[in-house]
Amino acid sequence: MYAIELESVCKSFAAVRAVDELSVRVPTGCVYGFLGPNGAGKTTTLRMIMDIIRPDAGVIRLLGDGDSARARNRVGYMPEERGLYRKMTAANVLAYFGALKGLSKDQSRRCAGRWLERVALAEHAGKKVEELSRGMHQKLQFAVTVVNDPQLVILDEPFSGLDPVNQDLLRDIIEQMRAEGKTVLFSTHVMHEAEQLCDFIILINRGKVVVDGTLDAIRAGHESHTISIELEGDSSFVQTLPAVRQVKQQAHRLDVRLADGADPQDLLKALVARARVRAFEIKQPSLHEIFVRLVGADHAEDP
Amino acid sequence: MQKILKVAQREYVETVKTKTFLISLLFLPIIIGGVIVVSSWISRDEGGPRNPLDVGVTCPAPQLYEKVQAAFREHNEAHAASPLVLAEVKSADDPQAIEEQGKRRLREGTLDAYVVLDDDVLAGSGGVRIYTHKPKPAQMEAIWTIESLLRKAVVDTRCEARGLDRELLARIRNVSIQQVELGSEAGQEQVQGQGQRVARMMVPFAFMYLIFIGIAGTGQHLLSSIIEEKNSRIIEVLLSAISPIQLMAGKIVGLAGIGLTVTTLWGAGAYVAARSRGIDIAITPDLVVFFLVYYILGFTLFSAILAGVGSVCNTVKETQSLMMPVMLLFIIPLISWFKLAQDPNGTLAHALSFLPPATPMVMMLRLSTGAGIAMTETIGTIVLLAVSVLAAVWAAAKIFRTGVLMYGKRPGLREVMRCLKAR
Repeated sequence: MYAIELESVCKSFAAVRAVDELSVRVPTGCVYGFLGPNGAGKTTTLRMIMDIIRPDAGVIRLLGDGDSARARNRVGYMPEERGLYRKMTAANVLAYFGALKGLSKDQSRRCAGRWLERVALAEHAGKKVEELSRGMHQKLQFAVTVVNDPQLVILDEPFSGLDPVNQDLLRDIIEQMRAEGKTVLFSTHVMHEAEQLCDFIILINRGKVVVDGTLDAIRAGHESHTISIELEGDSSFVQTLPAVRQVKQQAHRLDVRLADGADPQDLLKALVARARVRAFEIKQPSLHEIFVRLVGADHAEDP
Repeated sequence: MQKILKVAQREYVETVKTKTFLISLLFLPIIIGGVIVVSSWISRDEGGPRNPLDVGVTCPAPQLYEKVQAAFREHNEAHAASPLVLAEVKSADDPQAIEEQGKRRLREGTLDAYVVLDDDVLAGSGGVRIYTHKPKPAQMEAIWTIESLLRKAVVDTRCEARGLDRELLARIRNVSIQQVELGSEAGQEQVQGQGQRVARMMVPFAFMYLIFIGIAGTGQHLLSSIIEEKNSRIIEVLLSAISPIQLMAGKIVGLAGIGLTVTTLWGAGAYVAARSRGIDIAITPDLVVFFLVYYILGFTLFSAILAGVGSVCNTVKETQSLMMPVMLLFIIPLISWFKLAQDPNGTLAHALSFLPPATPMVMMLRLSTGAGIAMTETIGTIVLLAVSVLAAVWAAAKIFRTGVLMYGKRPGLREVMRCLKAR
């Protein structure tokens, strides 16, 4: 069972192909990171999932339901561009969006109260939105997104523009939703956010999938060529070893890049033969590294 | 459907709460009430003092001149603060030369007005001329007074010359005619004064104006509501919960309610005010039904157009240039209402009735004149209106869907067409 299924979805704006034959499956109950540089087609894809814009071709299924209008009552969406009715009170805004999500009057009032409590805005419930501070705005915006206790939450660049306190709060909410077996999909171009939170990751560029899978699988597929070592005594000989292409001094340690096809085990043997080895670590590639490696060159000339 | 009503409800409640709504609700009645109070107050005012006006008179008949003098004297006694100073102009023998002399003094400024009574004015064939030279606006009323004084003097003299009794003549000319409006029961008869007849004439205009305010006035709220949601970026959150059609429909329903509230309050207010002044305006139930039908269709048509236009714009200002052509269609019935009310079955009336955005206004105007509009024509206009409503809603929904997510672009007709073509 998938929370979201996209099959060969395409969307063009005038001459620009924003999304090109995109197929994505988001399993239920996971946190799914939707990565890509600016202009990769992330927001367009999320808008198509929410049926805000229509794809030119392809099929989108939400929560296993072909009728997205019905499924949308069980989905929460926070767009990148956010806003609320400035003249309404916080409680009324929440109750209104709850009602739009199909909650009954009683339910939406109850949910509104509960979420105001959760984001620590209960004492400001009667205030107009325009009287709230910026940080409170952000918290109210999450509450609006999840007021209907959705099974699936879609967040477009959720961390951008948040103060650190609210970043933590949002992270907590995401973790809690995962614990409750709900699905969270969020887009970002900040890699460490995805690294911290995501079970699955998809990286798109120019509307196409570059890589997808679990975080571990992606890392495994992009084995690092960098090894961090620390030796006792003189280490200048490392540069001359045949398996080594490049050495960079990093404080006490050396970052060694191996030549293509070289085995780290051979390097270790060579090192042990010449000096005492204090540390030897095959570095995990960071998502950032993978990202830059996969789309870096391409990205540079992106409009 | 429930979501549409939810949107409508919010739209209604939030609009009613705004200050602009309250102001626009009270603005017109206060202005009209103010005009009535002030104008009745002005008409009771006697008028303040005015500088003496020098009037030169050339009159060949001494008998008539005496009468003129008497009339002026009488006036000056009654209005001591604004006297008319009479001076006879005669020195040359030649009438032509005398007149030239009078005109010269007028130009020199020693006279404010110069009156010439012809030789044979008493016989009835000659006339009276009042010359002025660059008269000041403040003197205009005095000139009218001079006119009536002269008329009185001439008539009096004519009567005397023929040996007629002035009093008798006035009695002969006076015929008392009353318009009496029958109430539904005996003993409710009411004499209709001039004001009541005018008020009756105004009923069709009032109906048309109510339609206009209900449609165009409320339309402004729709525009600002769409622009607000666009500018504050609420629109995307909304669209994740409801479809663009539901959003648009909800807004239209909610604001139609606002329009109905305003027109009902004003209409009822005007009706009660008229009744309290003894003007029994006949408003038949079928007129109310037609009002509702035309209002709802007209409002839906106009607001669908507004929603389409508003969705591609980023500020209220940008909408104005796109709205101009539609607004013109509303202005035509407003400026030609008198002609339409006088001649509700004329060519202009027929033509404008079939010009959809103007249809509700024109038809309400025509129907409320009670001129007997053919039922087939009424139904024809309703059908045409309904068809154009469907077309407008369809087009607006398409434009709305794409336009509402468009930011920053300067909207033009081309953008609108592109949205219309989008899937």
